[in-house]
Amino acid sequence: MIVDAGALALSISFLVGLYAVAGSFVGVSRRIPALVLSARYGLYTVPVLLLLATGALVYAFVTHDFSVRYVFENSNLAMPFQYTWVAFYAGNAGSLLFIALVFSVLTAAAVLSLVGRLPFTAPYATALMAMVLTFFLGVIVFLANPLDRLAITPGNGEGINPLLIHFGMFIHPPMQMVGLISVAIPFSIAIGAVIAGRGGRDEWVDLGRTWAMVSWLLLTVGLILGSWWAYTILGWGGYWAWDPVENSALMPWLAMTALVHSIMVQKRRGMFRMWNIVIVVAAFTLAQMGMFINRGGPVPSVHSFAQSSMGWLFLFFMGFTVLGSLAVFAWRLNTLKSREKLDSMVSRESAFLTQNVLFLTVAAVTLWGTIYPVISRASQDVTITVGAPFFNRVNGPILLVIVLLMGIGPLLPWRRASPRRALWTLRFPLGGAALTAAALVVAGVRQPVAVLAVAVVVMGVTGIVHEWIRGTRSRRRKGESYPMAFGRLLAGNRPRYGGYIVHISIAMLAVGAIGSSFYGVQRDFSMLPGETKSLGGYSFTYRGAEEVAFPDRDELTARFEVRVGGRDLGVMEARRTFYRNFNISAIRAAIRSTPLEDFYIVASEFDAGGRAIFRVHINPLVWWMWAAGPLLALGTVFAISPRRQPAPADSRLPRSALPAGVRTRRVEGA
Amino acid sequence: MGTKSERFAGRRWLAIAAVVALAAAFVGCSAADEVPPLERLAQEVNEGVMCPVCPGESIDQSQNPLAVQMRGIVVEKLEQGWNKQQIFDFFSERYGLSVILEPPTEGGHLVAWLVPPLGLAAALITLYVVMRLMVRSRAVVAEGAVGAVELSAQERDRYVGRIEALLASDLAKDVKNARGRSPEGRGEETG
Repeated sequence: MIVDAGALALSISFLVGLYAVAGSFVGVSRRIPALVLSARYGLYTVPVLLLLATGALVYAFVTHDFSVRYVFENSNLAMPFQYTWVAFYAGNAGSLLFIALVFSVLTAAAVLSLVGRLPFTAPYATALMAMVLTFFLGVIVFLANPLDRLAITPGNGEGINPLLIHFGMFIHPPMQMVGLISVAIPFSIAIGAVIAGRGGRDEWVDLGRTWAMVSWLLLTVGLILGSWWAYTILGWGGYWAWDPVENSALMPWLAMTALVHSIMVQKRRGMFRMWNIVIVVAAFTLAQMGMFINRGGPVPSVHSFAQSSMGWLFLFFMGFTVLGSLAVFAWRLNTLKSREKLDSMVSRESAFLTQNVLFLTVAAVTLWGTIYPVISRASQDVTITVGAPFFNRVNGPILLVIVLLMGIGPLLPWRRASPRRALWTLRFPLGGAALTAAALVVAGVRQPVAVLAVAVVVMGVTGIVHEWIRGTRSRRRKGESYPMAFGRLLAGNRPRYGGYIVHISIAMLAVGAIGSSFYGVQRDFSMLPGETKSLGGYSFTYRGAEEVAFPDRDELTARFEVRVGGRDLGVMEARRTFYRNFNISAIRAAIRSTPLEDFYIVASEFDAGGRAIFRVHINPLVWWMWAAGPLLALGTVFAISPRRQPAPADSRLPRSALPAGVRTRRVEGA
Repeated sequence: MGTKSERFAGRRWLAIAAVVALAAAFVGCSAADEVPPLERLAQEVNEGVMCPVCPGESIDQSQNPLAVQMRGIVVEKLEQGWNKQQIFDFFSERYGLSVILEPPTEGGHLVAWLVPPLGLAAALITLYVVMRLMVRSRAVVAEGAVGAVELSAQERDRYVGRIEALLASDLAKDVKNARGRSPEGRGEETG
């Protein structure tokens, strides 16, 4: 009964979506405001309808209603109760419903924020968002309806992939899906503005930036949580494997990172109008590519949870949005020309442009590596696998240059800087980098790449810290206390200082990546109970393993007594769980994490004779990567938190600087 | 200038603390020396070979019995004096080229390796050329843009004169610096 009501709500939501698309477009082109309004109100009902459908699905899971095919395929009676929530978005159909639900909420919020503020853009942007939403609803209703019934009611379900039973699973996959689909919002706002023509071309920038950063934040948090999950559950001591699905989430992130920077140039200088549109289209295309690869794409991956044969439909929709955007872009090309030009090769604008090109290059290179297996199969009839060794080698250097640019760009002034002046501004970052490099070499670090990488990170952080100190001190001289001066400094220019906070957290991520990739150590130990081994100052005694049988799984827990430098760290437990129904082992590593390094034990194999093989990792500085996540979220939220806008940094002289009687006149468009 | 020296001391403090912490962090991570060279080499090889039955995972990551067996083979071959490429060839003969996690560096698949650096080079050259063009075309636009502020002819001449003087001195510096780096210089900018 409840399930049927949910299915009905789902079908209605699709019809409402169609109406919202048609109503917005027809209403705005025939100039019928009532129709535009009605379409918008229709769109507001979709989240409610989808909430009903989702509620019905969750209800079916909680009551173990195996007559619903999707419930049968993704749960069983033995499943822990709280994981019924995970099960709801673990499979293909349910995850699509989840995406649609969240996207409908985001869309409603975005449309609410547009109305009134973007009079030209809003109807088109609403129609575009409704179109993306309706595509998903159509796929769900006609091809992957999670509320479809089976002809017979089985007694028990098949259960869920055990790798998904982990706390990270509550957050990472939904976050990643939401991140990917949320790119549709800045895309719709931007393309809506292009369709609107002269009225829209600059009005979208503020809200477009806000939504781009929301989307960027969702993508980033998804990526960090995914890495954290891989690190703690997949038990290989790493966090990033350059797997096709990881890449497919990284690529839109890279493009969005380019966008949140270049959009600032349009906001402050009125430049890069076309370029921003190109980037936003690229980002949305890559996001759709991500969904395509995730859902039965052509590349093998460890992420084959939500696979289905409908990937090609996503590819088709992607082609449609790309061609459509290009057509709109070409049609409106003449309205997108910027009057402002680049003043100098050395300026904040050019640093942003360089950053954009580098980010898009990393995205393109990643795309190339990700699809090369498909290309090689098609062109040379040989499947080539492109994995971590390739990506580390080709992307590593570019990423390092990007981190370097992160230290330089923010310190350059808008418009122009003479090279000498730029060097003077950079004296502290450069000095910090040189000092660090020297200290590392003196201290005996002999890997040139590691020294370079750390120096570059230090450079970025020094620049930011220097600016903070300078700004705080100058406020302090006006009589404010240090904390208040610092607080007011940050609050005075939120986009900028929020960005700095994000930069600091990116530097923390880089420190973690550098530490673990250059100094990570791993070793396999074969041990009998009672034996003690040591690695990197840690000594650990194997105290035997204990096996516990559950209805659906066997858990083997190995215990260790760990000491470091004579200090007792207590007992650590490394677990290996075997799920009989799935013939899959899941691993829970024993991890002791400190800011300096992680000590990490994985139970690899247990022999009948009591001997066991353990892999022990020492991963320096990984802690910083997980600490960076919350800081990064904080910085992003701070950067978009509404506050009075700083005056545009344009070329006009202040009124007081002009002779009396001189009249200034704004030149709009021209 | 008490504030200046105070400020400088503060910075020095911070810089030294940061550098000491970093150096300590990196020197502290010297466990690498405890792992025998052969084992480190084996790990490097393992990271480059995919486990044939668990797509996407290298034999270094995977705990699959086949991966464990293959790790054993790697150690065995390394002890016999094989190099990384020979071991890669050995596995790709048995399981196909697709078990090697990077494209071969010879033959038709070299293109996989060549596209990224060439693409980066092309992107950077395009970026440079486009930025150059944008900076040049600005000079043309600037002539027409004076009308944004309505001034009498006399006032206008005075302002333009001052602006040009400022620009000339600034540009002269730029040109001097640019000359220092590239022999051909950019003489036309001053004109």
